[in-house]
Amino acid sequence: MLLTGPREIDPAPFDDISFDLCSRRKDVVIMSADLSKYCQVVRVKNELPRQHLDVGMAEQNLLSVAAGVAKGGYIPIATCFACYITRRAYDQMMICMGSGSGPGTNQDSGPTNVAIGFTPGIANPARIHHQAAEDLGMVRAIPNANVIDPMDPTDFRAAVNAAVDLPGLTYIRGHRGDTPRLLDPAKFTFELGKTYRLKEGKGIGIISTGHGTQWALEASALLEEQGVGHSLLHVPTLKPVREAEIAEFAFAHNQIVTIENHQIVTGLGSLVTEIVSDVGGGPRITRFGLPNRWAPGGTLPFIRTQLGLDAKTLAKRIAEVAA
Amino acid sequence: MRRNQSITDLDILAAKIRANVLEICRQRGGYAAQGVALADIAAALYFDEMRPDDDGWFRDRFVLSNGHDAIMTYAALAESGHYKMDDLRTYNADGGWVDQSPIEGQLGFEITAGSLGQGPSQSAGLAWALRQQGSDARVYCLFSDGELQEGNVWEGAMFAAHQKLDNLCYIIDNNDMQASGHAADVMAVEPVPKKFEAFGFKSRRISGTDMGELLDTFDEARATKGKPFAMICDTRLWDGIDCLQKALPMAHYTAKAAVDWDAGAAEITATLAALDAKR
Ligand SMILES: Cc1ncc(C[n+]2csc(CCOP(=O)(O)OP(=O)(O)O)c2C)c(N)n1
Repeated sequence: MLLTGPREIDPAPFDDISFDLCSRRKDVVIMSADLSKYCQVVRVKNELPRQHLDVGMAEQNLLSVAAGVAKGGYIPIATCFACYITRRAYDQMMICMGSGSGPGTNQDSGPTNVAIGFTPGIANPARIHHQAAEDLGMVRAIPNANVIDPMDPTDFRAAVNAAVDLPGLTYIRGHRGDTPRLLDPAKFTFELGKTYRLKEGKGIGIISTGHGTQWALEASALLEEQGVGHSLLHVPTLKPVREAEIAEFAFAHNQIVTIENHQIVTGLGSLVTEIVSDVGGGPRITRFGLPNRWAPGGTLPFIRTQLGLDAKTLAKRIAEVAA
Repeated sequence: MRRNQSITDLDILAAKIRANVLEICRQRGGYAAQGVALADIAAALYFDEMRPDDDGWFRDRFVLSNGHDAIMTYAALAESGHYKMDDLRTYNADGGWVDQSPIEGQLGFEITAGSLGQGPSQSAGLAWALRQQGSDARVYCLFSDGELQEGNVWEGAMFAAHQKLDNLCYIIDNNDMQASGHAADVMAVEPVPKKFEAFGFKSRRISGTDMGELLDTFDEARATKGKPFAMICDTRLWDGIDCLQKALPMAHYTAKAAVDWDAGAAEITATLAALDAKR
């Protein structure tokens, strides 16, 4: 499922993803809140202007206008930084976009509403106000929502393409700027909720999502050199997730670590812990990610090192758990 | 005008603030175009309008709402000796503490302002609390035209006018630029003075780079009773440094390699010499 050979970098995944989608689907409208350039919505804005809508720097407006656009028969994809699209407009996300579809609402399958949060977690250099370390937890708490944290341009593309056909609210974490291509598009097929075994091995089980899967693969290469046995499960969909697949993976190992670009409270680590504890008697789960305190600012490599999430330290921490 | 600073003295301070902005931003890039454009407002505020207290700080309160305009505060407070240029040269460095958009509690920063549009309400709350305590301190809040697109700004404005907060003065950096282009194209905010008047403010549109007008308008704001004041300051990115304005008129963020910092610095040196001759 993974590409081999020299690593290719995609400089602007969403520019292509959004342009290809909008060329094919005339009912899709990409929405911005003064951050089109910063979310790499360039070609749609310039070449397909009827499918681009900017509401200005107004995130609450972004999501409530989007919900109106959806009710009017289009499929809105609202784009912004992860911090603003969740924190700043959470009520609009939950109520305007998220309360019209699925169990407990008045419609089995209400309008499609998509929101994409870019530069999530420590992918943003500006500490505290720009670093969404809790967006996955926030959206995971919304009933009926779909929550996806892709690892590379391939599952990002697949998730966006899937989201426009899903009823109700879907939140996706976006990749911006140089992003390594890791999955082989010929061998990878995205299904909502499905988990992906990127490496089969004995020993410790690593479960990761989003940027965390990139980091896990880097650590995995080091662990392999060091002869530390492990397997690797990529979980792009945090909600609705196939719990049985996670449980099966977890119970096949004596030790589990989770890796995410999100605080270890309410994100993937919490999800896995909840699933395993619901079954009971499972392995110990060690959660790696951002702590529940303010992360430092700076470049991504710098912050990763500060938080013990650089490849070397991460491999060491995993090996320590495995030992 | 509060003190006996001449307009030329304040113009000189503004030029020095511009020089500091360049010196700080040339290290690793930064929000230089905003810092340069806001230098006159900074000089007027920090060196004339806000009254000093007995502890080397200010009796009046300044709330910066637009976090990335912190460069203006850094450059001005370097001139007043509150910050050291050696520290400020670490602006935006990995492991440094000089954030491009600072966190509440750092000297000069009342609020965490990187999430834009939250200063007008917080400054209104602050002004209400100060008035309730019988304080004569005034509250100044600087925010940008882009922030006018946030609903939170207007919620704050409505509250400020309803509460007749005449100790509150909004300063709007009306530069017609935001992250993705001209505000007039992205989401028009004009007519700004009329909007604030309709919300119950006294308002005045001025040039944000004319020291005389700035001081007169601060006087007018102080003399206004029974309503808050909004001074709408028309500016352009890089105002005060022509060569950089020509080179990069739309610079929301200025990368280190994007402009000729030496040319900018040389222009300021010439400006300073001309102002010195006037003195
Ligand atoms: C709530 C919020 N939304 C979005 C952003 C991202 N952002 C940073 S600056 C900016 C443009 C703001 O326009 P303005 O402050 O007028 O720009 P100026 O030219 O004054 O720097 C945007 C959208 C942010 N910092 N905060």
